[in-house]
Amino acid sequence: MKDLMDGNTAAAWAVKLARVKCVPCFPITPQTELIETLAKWKSEGKWNGEFRTMESEHGVLAAALGAEMTGARTFTATSSQGLELMHEILPIVSGTRNPLVMANVSRGISAPITLWSDHNDFLSVRDCGWLMFCCETNQEVLDTIIMAYKISENKNVLLPSLVNMDGFIHSYTRMEVDIPDQKKIDKFLPKLNLKIKVDVDNPLSLGVPVMDEYSFFRVNLHKAQLNALHVIKKVQKEWAKFTKRKYDLVESYKLSDADVALVGMGANATVMKAAIDSLRNKGIRAGLLRLRVIRPLPKDEIYNMLKDIKKIAVIDQNISPGIGGIMFPEIKSCLYDSDAIVCNYVAGLGGKPISQQIYEKFALETLKTKKPFRKFVI
Amino acid sequence: MVEKSKKPEKRIGIKDLPKEDLLIGGPPTCAGCGAELGQKLVLKALGKKTIIINTSGCMTLTPIYPFTPFKVPWVHVAIETGGSAATGILMGLRAQKKDKNVNIVVYAGDGASYDVGFESLSGMAARRENVIYICYNNSSFGNTGFQWSTSTPTGSMTTTTPPGKKQPIGNIMPRKNLAKIMAAHDIPYVATAAIGYPLDFINKLRKASEIRGPKFIDLLTTCPTGWGTDPSESIEINQLMVQAGLWPVYEYENKELKITIEPKFIPVERALLRQRRFKHLKKEHIKKIQEMVNKEWKLIRQGKYMEVEMY
Repeated sequence: MKDLMDGNTAAAWAVKLARVKCVPCFPITPQTELIETLAKWKSEGKWNGEFRTMESEHGVLAAALGAEMTGARTFTATSSQGLELMHEILPIVSGTRNPLVMANVSRGISAPITLWSDHNDFLSVRDCGWLMFCCETNQEVLDTIIMAYKISENKNVLLPSLVNMDGFIHSYTRMEVDIPDQKKIDKFLPKLNLKIKVDVDNPLSLGVPVMDEYSFFRVNLHKAQLNALHVIKKVQKEWAKFTKRKYDLVESYKLSDADVALVGMGANATVMKAAIDSLRNKGIRAGLLRLRVIRPLPKDEIYNMLKDIKKIAVIDQNISPGIGGIMFPEIKSCLYDSDAIVCNYVAGLGGKPISQQIYEKFALETLKTKKPFRKFVI
Repeated sequence: MVEKSKKPEKRIGIKDLPKEDLLIGGPPTCAGCGAELGQKLVLKALGKKTIIINTSGCMTLTPIYPFTPFKVPWVHVAIETGGSAATGILMGLRAQKKDKNVNIVVYAGDGASYDVGFESLSGMAARRENVIYICYNNSSFGNTGFQWSTSTPTGSMTTTTPPGKKQPIGNIMPRKNLAKIMAAHDIPYVATAAIGYPLDFINKLRKASEIRGPKFIDLLTTCPTGWGTDPSESIEINQLMVQAGLWPVYEYENKELKITIEPKFIPVERALLRQRRFKHLKKEHIKKIQEMVNKEWKLIRQGKYMEVEMY
């Protein structure tokens, strides 16, 4: 079934299709309509999970963790300051290996306060042990949330997933979205069967303190992230079989013969693609690498796609004060033995609109430069 | 309104308790720890179908990987999330229809309940979750070495309220009364208890397990290392606190307050001066504390202690 829907509704559909049992939540712009949709469906009897509005986002993630620990499939969503408030609990969820899925509707972080999108909230989770997906379209939001359950719940992974959509551009803009058939989803995503859980018939002590074993458990988190690379590929292949929608760890757009490459993520990637097409029409061989899976970082795929390109511009819609764009050093680390000139643009903070023409300019500047540079669009 | 203590009709005696302990030997807590004893009593009273949610604090160290002394499910969660994690566990069990006859118990310290986790406790009560919330109250942040919490009584030394020339009394603040605040949430059962009176505590737990909705029990637990008492005196000191009227032991339901342990009102210094945390107190301080106790009990006797108008 195809319908026009915004990102919040697409995410709610994914929750319903994945037969999620528990949703603790808290309102925050631009995520609120997502939980309102679920509350409405619950009231109308269209979705029959447990639903609670908590006292804070911190309480939301603590409750989501508790619910998932009993073996019930759990979802929640947040944004910006809400995600920041959850921070203490983020590594506890991954450290206790609970495969819940959360959507982040990205919005710049305060101060100064803004309602508009950038990726600082989302990327602040990168050291917390969560799998991280960054979506470009509302269809991708729906698809990724359902796939994320299958990936997270894989016994070789058992890590939580964070699925990002951009505030306003996704959350409040309607796009064509295909809603898969429930029967097909049920076949794709079996019931959750956690082996280690809170159960009075099989009492276990969970979240216990350790002595010497701390490094063992922390390093195992890293190993599980690396396992996820294979699992994500496998699950995406399976997804493509019955939906005809193909996803990869990173998306290559006209990169194979490119002289200059942009590297970007999120909704702005669509504008970047238009810029690439326009440049190609003018005879300039430009391409785009769209980052989709941020954790685990698919280093080999990024290297293979960029290794023959001499001019690369990483476009960060985020800023880490004191170093610059966050993804720039990550991409550079993937290209450690390449002689490419890699530049960095920090652009689109707090939802500042960056037009197709400006992305074209970024590509042309990068193509012409003989030395790497870093620029900030204010 | 106020009844003088008399025996409840179906009072559970020591012979009615199961022999089996669901918290077995081996936990590495301090000798004479009152909170540890409290945990044991909880499981004696509530039995196997109990899930313990622990928030970071002394009791977090009861199991240490790969060993655990618990024979019931036990979950450690962040210090300020007792109420919210309990909500989540209840949601998960309800969604799977596994919540029937299961006691969901939060066992959290006073720092975790009165201070850093108050928001989650209040949220849980306001959402009317079917949870027994027990605050094991050693009147301090005990696990970090006895710092001031809002449960610390007036006159107590703590490492963050040390008595000195400028403030000889130590902690000058009056104690926050969490049980009254929880009663103001209009929840079905609120009680205080003390480990010196185990049967009273067990009876309250049994009663709580039969009531639907949020239940709150504030349990006074002796902390030998913090209070500066000998481990062998934990029970005695705890009883002295109650007998001096420093810790009213009561239950509150259906808008009725019932004193379950009637104190003998021994002078407060007989309880206070047995503890290192009060040793610095001068006569005028003790007089002041005695006045506070008298005032509190006057309100109890007048039936005005819990007075909160609900609209």
